[in-house]
Amino acid sequence: MHEVEAAPEAVTEVGDVTRFAVKQLTRVEGEGRLDLAVRDGVVTQAHLEIFEAPRYFERIVVGRTPDEVIDIVARICGICPVAYQMSAVHAFEDLFGVAVDPQIRALRRLFYCGEWIESHALHVYLLHAPDFLGYPSAIELAADHGPIVERGLRLKKVGNDLVALLGGRPIHPISVRVGGFSRVPKAAELEPMRARLAGALVEAIETVRWVATLEPPPYARVPRLVSLVHPTEYPMNDGRITSSDGIAVAPSAWTDAFEEQQVPWSNALQARARDGVPYLLGPTARVVLGGSTLHPEAAAALAETGLGDELQNNVFRSIVARGVELVHAIAEAIDIIDAYRRPVEPKVAWEARPGVAAWATEAPRGLLFHRYEVDEAGLVSRAQIVPPTSQNQRAIEHDLATFAPSVLELPHEEATHRLEQLIRSYDPCISCATHFLELKVDER
Amino acid sequence: MISDRPRVGVVKLASCDGCQLTLLDLEDELLPIVGRFDLIEFPEATSLRSAGPYDVLLVEGAVSTPEQAEEIVHLRARSRLLVSIGACATAGGIQALRNWTDEPDWRASVYPEAGWIESLATATPVSEYVPVDAELRGCPIAPGQLLELLTALRIGRRPQLPAESVCLACKRRGNECVLVARGIPCLGPVTVAGCGALCPTFGRGCYACFGPREEANVASLHGWLAADRSTQEVDRLFAGFTAWSPPFREPAARAVAVAETHHPRKDDPDA
Amino acid sequence: MVTDAGFLPRADLDRLIGLLREGGRTVIGPTLDDGALVYAEIGSADDLPTGWTDDAAPGRYRLVRDEGQRTFGLGPPPQGLKRFTFPSRAPLAVAERTAEGAVTFTAAVPDPPRLAFLGVRPCEVAALLVQDRVLAGGPFVDEDYRARRQASLVVAVACTRSGSTCFCASMGTGPEVTAGHDLAMTELDDGFVVSAGSRAGEQLLARLALPAVTPDQHATATAAVAGARAAQGRQVVTTGLRDRLMDQLDHPRWAEVAERCLACANCTMVCPTCFCTSTALDSDLDGAATRMERRWDSCFTGDFARVAGGNFRPRRQDRYRQWLTHKFATWVDQFDTFGCVGCGRCITWCPVGIDVREELAAIAPPYEELPTATPVVAGSTSAYSTAVVRSVTPETADTSTLALVPGDDALLAARPGQFVMVEQPGFPPLPISVSRVADGALWLTIRAAGPATTATIALRPGAQLGLRGPLGRGWDIQRAVGRDVVIVAGGIGLAPVRPIIDTVLRDREKFRHVILAYGARTPADRLYVDEMADWADRGMVVTEIVDRAGPEWLGRVGIVTHLLDQRDFHDRPATAFVVGPERMMEATVATLAERGVPRERIFVSLERHMQCGIGLCGHCQMGPFFICRDGPCFAVSELGDLFGREGI
Repeated sequence: MHEVEAAPEAVTEVGDVTRFAVKQLTRVEGEGRLDLAVRDGVVTQAHLEIFEAPRYFERIVVGRTPDEVIDIVARICGICPVAYQMSAVHAFEDLFGVAVDPQIRALRRLFYCGEWIESHALHVYLLHAPDFLGYPSAIELAADHGPIVERGLRLKKVGNDLVALLGGRPIHPISVRVGGFSRVPKAAELEPMRARLAGALVEAIETVRWVATLEPPPYARVPRLVSLVHPTEYPMNDGRITSSDGIAVAPSAWTDAFEEQQVPWSNALQARARDGVPYLLGPTARVVLGGSTLHPEAAAALAETGLGDELQNNVFRSIVARGVELVHAIAEAIDIIDAYRRPVEPKVAWEARPGVAAWATEAPRGLLFHRYEVDEAGLVSRAQIVPPTSQNQRAIEHDLATFAPSVLELPHEEATHRLEQLIRSYDPCISCATHFLELKVDER
Repeated sequence: MISDRPRVGVVKLASCDGCQLTLLDLEDELLPIVGRFDLIEFPEATSLRSAGPYDVLLVEGAVSTPEQAEEIVHLRARSRLLVSIGACATAGGIQALRNWTDEPDWRASVYPEAGWIESLATATPVSEYVPVDAELRGCPIAPGQLLELLTALRIGRRPQLPAESVCLACKRRGNECVLVARGIPCLGPVTVAGCGALCPTFGRGCYACFGPREEANVASLHGWLAADRSTQEVDRLFAGFTAWSPPFREPAARAVAVAETHHPRKDDPDA
Repeated sequence: MVTDAGFLPRADLDRLIGLLREGGRTVIGPTLDDGALVYAEIGSADDLPTGWTDDAAPGRYRLVRDEGQRTFGLGPPPQGLKRFTFPSRAPLAVAERTAEGAVTFTAAVPDPPRLAFLGVRPCEVAALLVQDRVLAGGPFVDEDYRARRQASLVVAVACTRSGSTCFCASMGTGPEVTAGHDLAMTELDDGFVVSAGSRAGEQLLARLALPAVTPDQHATATAAVAGARAAQGRQVVTTGLRDRLMDQLDHPRWAEVAERCLACANCTMVCPTCFCTSTALDSDLDGAATRMERRWDSCFTGDFARVAGGNFRPRRQDRYRQWLTHKFATWVDQFDTFGCVGCGRCITWCPVGIDVREELAAIAPPYEELPTATPVVAGSTSAYSTAVVRSVTPETADTSTLALVPGDDALLAARPGQFVMVEQPGFPPLPISVSRVADGALWLTIRAAGPATTATIALRPGAQLGLRGPLGRGWDIQRAVGRDVVIVAGGIGLAPVRPIIDTVLRDREKFRHVILAYGARTPADRLYVDEMADWADRGMVVTEIVDRAGPEWLGRVGIVTHLLDQRDFHDRPATAFVVGPERMMEATVATLAERGVPRERIFVSLERHMQCGIGLCGHCQMGPFFICRDGPCFAVSELGDLFGREGI
C-alpha cells in the first residue's frame, strides 16, 4: 500500500527463479499489484493481484429500489460512474418494458459520450502517455510538453462538463432515473457545449495523430475481442455481445456465454468465457468489431494512422484506439446536440415488475454487465455486476505471460516498467473490479 | 501558510477513487497547483512514490480492512495535517451499511470463497481511528471545496466550508422547493451544503451525499415525510452514502434490518 | 387611495408591456418554467401564466388550472423580486496584494439592469418598501440595492383572491395596493382597472390613453378586493405585538417549535424582506487576488452567530426565536415597521409546515382587551350606581369582606388589580381594590382604618351603597403565562392579589410553579385562612410568615422576604406580583431582582390618595403618573427611580 520502505518495484532472484513484483500499480484506478515468476526464461506464474478493499456492492443493493440502485452502483467507480448507471437503467427498463422517448435515448448516449471523453482523455494524457515518453507522470510530462498536457486537460474538461451539464456533476452524476432523467436540458443550454465540442473535435483528431507517433514495444498476438455490436450505432448502450470468433448473444444474456470465478490472489472475481478462452474488451475491441459504425470523422482519423492489424495485435496500441474513440464520442455528441428536440417530459412513468433485469453497455474500458433479480415489491433481491476489468483480467495475465519473456533481457527496472505499461494499456479500473486486480510476477 | 511548497500526499482506503480524481478534475488549476505543491505521493496519478513525511495528506476512503486500520495510524504519524476527503473517509460511505449486518454473511454472498478475502466487520470513517485536522464532505467532494482547501492552506486562512443546509444553496440558485411543490422527498434541510443543491436543481430530492449538517433535525423531517409514505421508504432515504453519520443512524439501521430480513443471503450468486 | 385612472382592456395588455419595454427596459413578470412559477423576462402577455392559480398550504404548494382564465391568478411566486433587487450573490470588491506587499481594494460598481416588474402582488410591493428602509433608508446604504431600485418600475396587481397562507390584511400590506407602485391594477374578467402611484406611472397612463373606469367596473374591482380581505380575516393581531413577543423570550414554546423546526433557513430565503448576508471570499491560489462577494445568509445557519469562542445561538430554538422576534418585534425598534408583510411564503415553503401565525398566537397571544382607562360607568366623578350588600364575612378582628351586587353589570367586568370607588352617603369616597368577582357579586375586603371604612364593614346584608368603576389598570397576568408565578403579599395586600390567585388556579396548566409568600403582623391578622388549604391543593405553594407570634404559632416568624430565601429564578423565568406596605414592597423587589426576576416582570400595586379615580383631581400624582388612571398596578421597570423614593 503506502508503505514504501522498499522500492515499489522489486526484483528478486532466488536460485534460478526471478520474481518481478510491483507492490502497487500506479497510474491506474484503484489498488492492484503484479506478481510474475520466471524460471529458465519461462513464465511460470503471472498474477494481477487486486488488494483493493472489498465493498460488497452486490449485497448493498439488495432491498433497494431500481432508482436507488442507479445511485448506489455509480459509487463502484469514480471514473466511470455513468457506465454503471447506464447498464443498470437499461437493465431495469428492459425488464419493466419501459419505452423511453427517442430523445431520452439520444441524451443517454450524449451522457455516455461525455464520460468516454473525460475517461479517455484522462487515460491517454495523464495515465498512459508518460509511459511512452519516459516520464513518471503527466506532471513531469507537462514541464517538457506543456501544450500537449494542456490539450489533454481541455479535452478532459469538455467531457467532464458534458457529463455535468446532463447529470449535475462529472463524478457520480445524479439525473439518471428509470424512464429517463430527473431533468433534461433545454436546447439552448446545449448550445455553448456544442461550440466547445467543435473545438474539441479538432484537438481529438490531433490527439490521434499524436498517439499514433508514440512507439510501442514490439509485441503481437491475436486476441479474442468482445464488444457490443449494433447494426447502425457505435457500440455503447445497445447491440449484441459479440466476439471476434463467433459469440453473439443479447445484451441481457451475458451469462449464456460467460461466467465469473474467484481466484485466491484477488479481491475481484474474474470473468471468463465459458469455453475458457481469455478475451479483450475496450476501445480496441470496439474499434475493430464496431468499425463500420465509427463516425466518419473517427474513421478518417483511424485511417490516417495507417495502423492495420497492429491496432488489435499490439495491446500497447490501445492508446490509439482510445484516441479514435475520443474523436468518435465528440463527433457523435455534436450530432446528438444538433438533432436535439427537448422531450415534453423528462421521464416516462413506469411500474416495476418482478423478474430478472440484465443488460450490458460499453464502459470506457469495455463491456459492463449488470444482472438484478427484482421481487414482487419492486426491490432488488439479488445482483451480479461484472465490470470490464474483471473480464480483462485473464487477458492481462495471459498477455503478461506472453510478453514477459521478451523483456527478460532488459535491465530489471526497465523490464518491470514495460510490464506495468502493458497493464496500463488495458486502462484497468481496479475499484470497479473489486471485484478486481494486482500484479505480482513470480519468475520461477 | 505551512510551507512555501507543501509536500502533499493523496492516498486511498476503501473507495471508488472519485474524490482523489476530483483533484485531477480541476483541469484549469491542476498545473498551477502542481507548480505550488509537491505531490510526493499520488499513486493514481504518478509513479513517483514517497512514504512521507507529508505536510498535508489527503485520505480518501473508509477504513475497512485490518491492513487499512494499521496503515492509517502510520499515515497519521507521518502527516502534519491529515484531511479526510469524501463521504467514505468522513462517514464510512455506502459500504458502511454493512456495519449493521453480519459481515461474514455479506462477504459470503458476494464471494464464493469468502475465506480468501480479508476484511473488517465495519467500514468506518478515518476519524474513528486517528485525529483528523479537516474534513471535506461529499460523495464525491466538491471541486470548489478542494480548491478552497488548497488555497486556504497556501494563504493560511481557515477554509470556507459553510455550516448551512442544502436549502440555502438551493434558494440562492432560485430553485422551487421540490418537497413542498412536488412532494418529492428531499433531505436538503438536514444535509450540509457543498454540492450546490444539485439534486433539487435537477428536479429530484437531495440524498444527503454530503452528510448531516449541524443541528440536523432528522426526527422532524422523518416524521413529516412519513406522513405521506411508508416508514420503510423514509428510512431508506437515510441509508445512503452517509448512513453511518450519527444523526442518520437510527433510520438507516432500521432500513438495513428490513433489507436483511426480507432478503436473506441466497447461496450460489452465479446461479 | 389613488383614484382609478383608466380601464385597460385585456387585449391591450401588450400595449402596456410594449411601453414598459421602451428604452431597452426588460419586463419581469410571473412565468411558468418547467412547471414552476418564477419571475422572469416577459416578452408579451403570452408569457404570463394565464389560466393558472395555486393551492398553497403550510408545507405544501401546487399549481392548479383556473377556469377563471385570469392572467394574474397566481399568488406570490415561490421566490420574490428580491432576486432582482437584492440578488443572492453580488460582487462587493476585489482585494489585491502585490508581491511587494502593496494592498489595493477595488469596489464593485453597481451596474443595475433597467427592469419593470409586472404583476407584482401588494405584499411584494410592501416588501420592497421594507427593504428600502433597511438597505437604503438609514445612514448607511447598500449601493447596489439602491441602484437597482432606482432603475426599476413597479406595476402592481391587487389581489382578488387570498391563498390559505396569506395574511397581508393582518399586516396592513394588502390585498389592495396602497403605496410603492408606479402603476396599480385590479384584474376584472375583461381587463384591468389601472391607477398611477408615481410620476412615471402617470406618464405611462397618459400615453396609454385609457377609457375611463365605469362605476360598475369600479364597484366590481372594489368588491373583489374586499372579498379577498374578508377571506383572510384577521389572523395575526398586531396590537402590542412587539411587547407581547419580547415579553416571552423564555416561553416554553420556543423549545417546542424547535423540535419541529429544521433550521433549514427556507423561511428566510423565501422571505421578501430578509436581508442578512455574509461575505464569501474567492481567492486565487497565492492569495494575490481575492474576490469578495455578498451572499444571502440566514440567522438559521450554524455559522451565522459563531465567533472564535463559540456560537451565540447554538440551538435551533435560539435561531427560531431570533428570527421570529426580529420579524415581529425588534424590526420595529430598528426600522419602525414590521419585518413581515404577510405574504405567507415562510408558511407555504416551510418543509415541515410550521405556521408563523400559529406560533405567534401560542407564544404571544393577543392581550385580552383591557379597559384602558375609564370605563363608561365611571366616566365622571359622579357616575355612581347603587349596589346591595349580599353578605359580610369577617376575616380578622378589624377586617371584613363584603359581597356587593352592583346595580350596573359593568362593575362585574372588573379585572384583577382594578379598584372601585365606594361611596356611603355622607362619607368621603373610598378607593377599594376588588378582591374577587364571583357569583354576580363584587367582593371587597376592607380593613377598618378610619370612620368610613369602619362604617362600611358595619353594613348588614341588604344594605345599599354607591359604587363607581371598575377603575385603573390591573395586573398584566398575560406576562406570567408559561412562567413561574411569584405572589408576595403583606397584610391586607393579599386582597388585591387574590384575583391573580383565582385566575392562575383557574388556568393552572398555563403557568409553571406558582408560589405565594404571605406575611402578616400576627397569626390573627392573616386573611383568607380558610381558603389557603384549597389553594395548596390546587397546585400552589403557599408559604406564610408573621412578624410576631405566641407559642401557638408553629410557622415561621420574620419578614416576608425570608420566605424567598430558598428561591432562585436565574434559570427559571418568573413573573412576580407584589402588594403590601411600600417598604415591604421595596425590600421584596430588591430580593426578587437579586434572585433573577427582571424588573420588567415584577409588578407592584401602589397606594396613593385617590379621590376621583380617573386622573382628574390630581391627588394621586406620582411623577409622570396618575396612580388611579395609569396604575395602580405597575411593572417596577416603568417606575424607574420613583419607586421607593421618599416624598414624591
